[in-house]
Amino acid sequence: MLLACSKLTVTYSGRTALKSFDLTLKPGEVRALIGPNGSGKSTALQAMAGLLRPSGGHALIDGLAVDAIPRRRLARQLAYLPQQPTAPDEMTVAQLVRQGRFAHVGLLRSYRAEDEAAIGWALESTRLLALADRPLRELSGGERQRAWISAAIAQEARILLLDEPTSFLDIGYQVEIIDLVHRLSRERGVSIVMAIHDLNQAMSVCDRISLLAKGETVFDGDPKDLAEAGLIETVFRVRGTFVPIAPNAPPHFDVELAHRQMRTGGLARQ
Amino acid sequence: MTPVPEIARNRRSLSSLPALAGLLLLTLGLSVFLGVADLPVSDIMSVLAGHGSPEAQSIILDIRLPRIVTGALAGIHFAVAGLILQTITRNPLADPSIMGISQGATLSVTLFLLFSVFLRDPGTTARITEMPLEWLPAVGMVGGLIAGAAVYALAFRRDLGPLRITLCGIAIGAVLHAIAIGVIAGWGSARIEVLLEWLSGSLYARSWEHALFLSPFTIAGLLALLPIRRALDLLQFEAPVASSFGLAYRQHFSFALFLSCGLAASAVGAVGPIVFVGLIVPHLARALVATRTPLLLPVTVTLGAITVTSGDLLGRLAGQADEIPIGVVTAVCGVPLLIVFLRKIP
Repeated sequence: MLLACSKLTVTYSGRTALKSFDLTLKPGEVRALIGPNGSGKSTALQAMAGLLRPSGGHALIDGLAVDAIPRRRLARQLAYLPQQPTAPDEMTVAQLVRQGRFAHVGLLRSYRAEDEAAIGWALESTRLLALADRPLRELSGGERQRAWISAAIAQEARILLLDEPTSFLDIGYQVEIIDLVHRLSRERGVSIVMAIHDLNQAMSVCDRISLLAKGETVFDGDPKDLAEAGLIETVFRVRGTFVPIAPNAPPHFDVELAHRQMRTGGLARQ
Repeated sequence: MTPVPEIARNRRSLSSLPALAGLLLLTLGLSVFLGVADLPVSDIMSVLAGHGSPEAQSIILDIRLPRIVTGALAGIHFAVAGLILQTITRNPLADPSIMGISQGATLSVTLFLLFSVFLRDPGTTARITEMPLEWLPAVGMVGGLIAGAAVYALAFRRDLGPLRITLCGIAIGAVLHAIAIGVIAGWGSARIEVLLEWLSGSLYARSWEHALFLSPFTIAGLLALLPIRRALDLLQFEAPVASSFGLAYRQHFSFALFLSCGLAASAVGAVGPIVFVGLIVPHLARALVATRTPLLLPVTVTLGAITVTSGDLLGRLAGQADEIPIGVVTAVCGVPLLIVFLRKIP
């Protein structure tokens, strides 16, 4: 098993943000983390990235606790992209993506052909080659987000942790990111854990899905089974139905909106 | 979001380093040739060639040159210390005073002068010339470093965030400054002149000893910067991002902080707190360099030397016999620049 969390628990000054979180990640697997705001998705990702000291349980990579692995060695295994990271004003896209190679070059080693190739590939995969020399502050929110994703994949780690990578992107770029995640997992064998708000995108791209609520895992399994578990409506406090869209694809969740309900109610009365 | 004339900007920054080097040479040259004592150019030339009148030799070799070298080195120290602090705290208004360096140095120098005067010659009034001035650089540096260490220790007890460092630094700096001012006010003696001159940041009567005191720190500091340049790039990010890129954040943050404190404290000890150099020069350098970040350090070093040397020249010429201390010149010239830069920050 590549990455394994067992009974991972994180407490912030008395408040338990993540409780007994279990997760196993196989090579090339895409795992989606869904759940309402404040359900512990980001906390789980940070703990897996070794950035938080768990108060109980552990996250292991190849049997070693992530928070005990030296950062640079860990960074060659695992790349983590937080929500809305910030970069210095004058930094260009290419300079940001270059930072992704630090795990490989360290403080002193010069950049080799393989590093330049990884940077070029990362820029190309995120369609940023044309913007490479532009300062980040001149980019749109979507372009900036892609630059960060580019930096994370330039790291060429086996595990990629993404915290809401598609938030603030328009639908076109959202689909591009989702496709990129799929390509990375299938073509390069990268294992990806991704917190994401769009339920249908999550279901369509992931191999397994975890549903969190108030720090606890209420579902862990195949996306198709999640549809049948009936948990979405209670956890997210919505009403809706899963609609089949294609024979081999997970169904789509169709939310019922209050005003539409009223209209259909009115029709029924007539 | 305005379109930026990329080509024009790159051309400007490409030419900036040789131009700056030329400017530095010009400033250094002018500082040798111009001064309160009106020496003819021919006399100065012959001194530089190895002969010349004893009087001219003394003015150039014992007064002007050590003063210029000390000033240039101190300028490099303040500018690089400011650049490091602004980078790692992600605070564009950071300078060595946010680590309590100048305040700690001020207090230690104040106490040192006070005690040395009273302990050495109890009962008699020691003259200013008898004060142990040769110890001031070391005393100031140690005081600055102790203050920096106190800030570090206070911030280190919790997480070592940039904001926490800044807040602790401001708090400790304010306390030290208040104590020093209290001591000065209570002292009330004519000997306070020495202290006031040091406090305003001055290159007056700086000798080769000061330059020799500074140069090992300059060399060590700049050499230590070279291998951590990539770490400094990563320290511009928030801790989680830098850590995920593979940086041992705490160690590198601490080392960079230590380096900037060492540079600032040694310079404060030698020439007193020269206000604004550490704040303004990195901004000037950034504006010149734009996106060509590898040039940032060399440009900062050169600009730091230029700023202090030209500021001192200005103070010497403008004040004539009653020269204006360099600290006053940089503060007076720095404020308009600061206001211009603040307008650029969104």
